[in-house]
Amino acid sequence: VGGAVIAMLVVQIVLSIILASIFLIRPSVTSATAWKILAFIGLCALPFLCIVGGMNTHMQRSEQTQFCISCHAMVPYGQSLYVDDPSYLPAQHFQNHRVPADMACYACHADYSIYGPLKDKMRGLTRIYMQYVSTPPNPIRIPGGYQNGQCLHCHLGARSFEENQIHAAVMDSLKSNQMSCLTSGCHDTAHNVAQLSHVKFWRPGQ
Amino acid sequence: MRLSEIGMGRLLRVSSALIILGLVVEIVSLVWYHPLSFVLFAFVGISLIGLGILVYLISLAFVATRSTENRNST
Repeated sequence: VGGAVIAMLVVQIVLSIILASIFLIRPSVTSATAWKILAFIGLCALPFLCIVGGMNTHMQRSEQTQFCISCHAMVPYGQSLYVDDPSYLPAQHFQNHRVPADMACYACHADYSIYGPLKDKMRGLTRIYMQYVSTPPNPIRIPGGYQNGQCLHCHLGARSFEENQIHAAVMDSLKSNQMSCLTSGCHDTAHNVAQLSHVKFWRPGQ
Repeated sequence: MRLSEIGMGRLLRVSSALIILGLVVEIVSLVWYHPLSFVLFAFVGISLIGLGILVYLISLAFVATRSTENRNST
């Protein structure tokens, strides 16, 4: 999340707190017209902007890889991004910057439909409930399975993808989600967290 | 209870207190880098700020009610 955006939000919050403090200590000042306008700004307009700004900041923050793996259950999935084996699909995408490294989880797991971000947030809240109130499933499974649309969002239309003979032969099945990209024999090694203790890890810069 | 009995000053105080509390919660949620920080902001922060704004708008309705009553009495 951009530093300038955060700084602007903090300025808004501080200004709003200062104005609200004045009306908390001396509400009688609102008898003057100028103070009435300031009261509207400090107790209605600015707090509303703080809600919008806060929501926007939190939504952007929750798209970051660091945010996803800050949940204990997600730590091994974060580690799997560093597996030194090109057959590990997420690791290959992450290490070669085929997805933005700081938004790696979001890039491949986001719902790209019109209400996608809202649905993702609701699913995220369900996972928080599982983490803190109920018990997270082991292994963690994506409800409804991994959708091809999340791969095709980037790969569809890409020359190397479309000219690949295997892809071309099953293109209709891939588009209709009848055949999963993760089908055995194709791209079947995703995070594979159960095997992490037996694999070699890539260390950036070495 | 009628709005005029509560008093505009008290409504403004309650509104200000709720908004300040909500904004403090928002600051904490922004500083705290944790999945629960969103829950804190969405359920506690927004509720407090929203309630503060609502109380302020009610206080405006109180001003409108009072000025109507004054006009009727004169």
